[in-house]
Amino acid sequence: MTVAVSATTLEVRGVSMRFGGVLAVDDVTFAARTGEVLGVMGPNGAGKTTLFNVISGVQRPTAGAVSLGPVPLTGHSVDRIASLGVTRTFQTPVMFWGLTVRESIAVALAAREFGGSYPPPPARALLVAGLGTQGRRRADAVLNERADALLASAGLAHMGDRATESLAFGEERLLELARALAVEPVVLLLDEPLSGLNPEEVEDVLTLVRAARTAGVAVLLVEHAVGELLSVADRVVVLDHGRKIAEGTPSAVAADPLVIDAYIGDELE
Amino acid sequence: MIAQIWQYVLGGVVDGAIFALVAAGFVLIYQVTGIINFAQGEFVMVGGMTAASLAAAGMPPLGAAAIAVLVAACVGALSYLLAIRPARAATGVTLIFITLGLDVALRGLALFVWGTNPYSLPAFSGGNAVKLFGGALPPQAMWVLGTDLIVFAALYLFFARTYAGTAVRAAVANPPIASTFGIPLRTFAFASFVVAAAIGGLGGVVITPIPGVQYDAGLTYGLAGFVAAVLGGLDSLPGALLGGFVLGIVEHVAGGLLSPGWEQGVGFLILVLVLVLRPQGLLGRAVRRA
Repeated sequence: MTVAVSATTLEVRGVSMRFGGVLAVDDVTFAARTGEVLGVMGPNGAGKTTLFNVISGVQRPTAGAVSLGPVPLTGHSVDRIASLGVTRTFQTPVMFWGLTVRESIAVALAAREFGGSYPPPPARALLVAGLGTQGRRRADAVLNERADALLASAGLAHMGDRATESLAFGEERLLELARALAVEPVVLLLDEPLSGLNPEEVEDVLTLVRAARTAGVAVLLVEHAVGELLSVADRVVVLDHGRKIAEGTPSAVAADPLVIDAYIGDELE
Repeated sequence: MIAQIWQYVLGGVVDGAIFALVAAGFVLIYQVTGIINFAQGEFVMVGGMTAASLAAAGMPPLGAAAIAVLVAACVGALSYLLAIRPARAATGVTLIFITLGLDVALRGLALFVWGTNPYSLPAFSGGNAVKLFGGALPPQAMWVLGTDLIVFAALYLFFARTYAGTAVRAAVANPPIASTFGIPLRTFAFASFVVAAAIGGLGGVVITPIPGVQYDAGLTYGLAGFVAAVLGGLDSLPGALLGGFVLGIVEHVAGGLLSPGWEQGVGFLILVLVLVLRPQGLLGRAVRRA
């Protein structure tokens, strides 16, 4: 199954999310284009993570809809949405303990093979490696090559055989990002990928994000480090108390009095 | 005396082989869905009853066996679709009650279909008892042990060597992350019920020529399989294999030395001891999910 990639990849239309009496996301509309980094910023509690949860299918919105090109996403499960090309990372990287770094990537690649959205066909997913056909052995070799290429792009080339338990926090973050890219997303949602990283690691992550953009991925980036966000984003959407208060280029948004108000107001509270 | 105990051990090996298959069903479903399916033993009964009644109606044994496994798999599929899936928002205790209800319902259905008469199935192959160091095993025991070998080898190859198996292991290790790879968790949950039921049904087919089968036979198999799974570790397929054989042998030896009535009592004593001394089981890990 291939997704028709149009200039507008991800469309969020009038999405609201209510928890009891709290409107965490209030009638938010925007679109993310293929090959751009769309920054999503806003003070704490602005609804950024809830928005990500709605897009990725963890939560179903109270109102509104999300679609990928012509394909509606709202109402589908997380795994269905992921197999359509929308995947995400979490604020705290989650590893598969007990696997090596290379295996962690291979799991995502194998899942992609299994999902059937990538050749070879899904029946081959059941063939036993080693006892399988030549085609299967070729597929395995390709899998390992791709895993190593992804690790190299994330600056983890020499760590393929390390246990995930031995990674430093920043390395976990890079591995998680490489793992997300392994499923070849059309849209990648990154939830605070820079938090807790040192300046060098921040640069590594931003390099990966830019590479993903070049590869045609629409990257949605939630980040508290406003400086870094504005430096990498092509466009920015600003949320405050669940509402979209601004959208535009980084420089326009940074100069927007409403945005400045929201951030300063937040600091005074 | 030693010869006597050895004979009890051999008998226990045959029982243990079936307990191991039922335990494998418990482990598969628990791993993939987090549910302890107390209806697991009924799949054995359905397999045995279907094969026995078809054979009694004149069907050749191999055909009856194949259909019996298929029927058991369908019962597993329907159990998931009708009883588990609609309650997927429910939590642990509720789901345990649902599977207990499912167990009673399946037994009641069997009573309705087959009545209370015991059924028997001819052994798959004739010939003499197999002699082993002075003990003897019925020829059918070879079919039972061979089934264990094939089932566990197939499970090992699937999980260790296929992409699909890797995807299932990822889903087990970390469902939220696995779903962001596009791994279909619900499809796996459905498949775990179908496969667990087919394995149970197959066990029922191969064991039935030895003790026979009636509508309520699933209760014993289910409880023994549960104890075996806990003994081996609910998150470990090798544990299911080990737990099954250990339980079968200990039960049989204790039953032989004391009295047959003690068999199940000893089984439950083991369950209590495991839960107190080593709750994660012989081969299980203490923490299941990160």
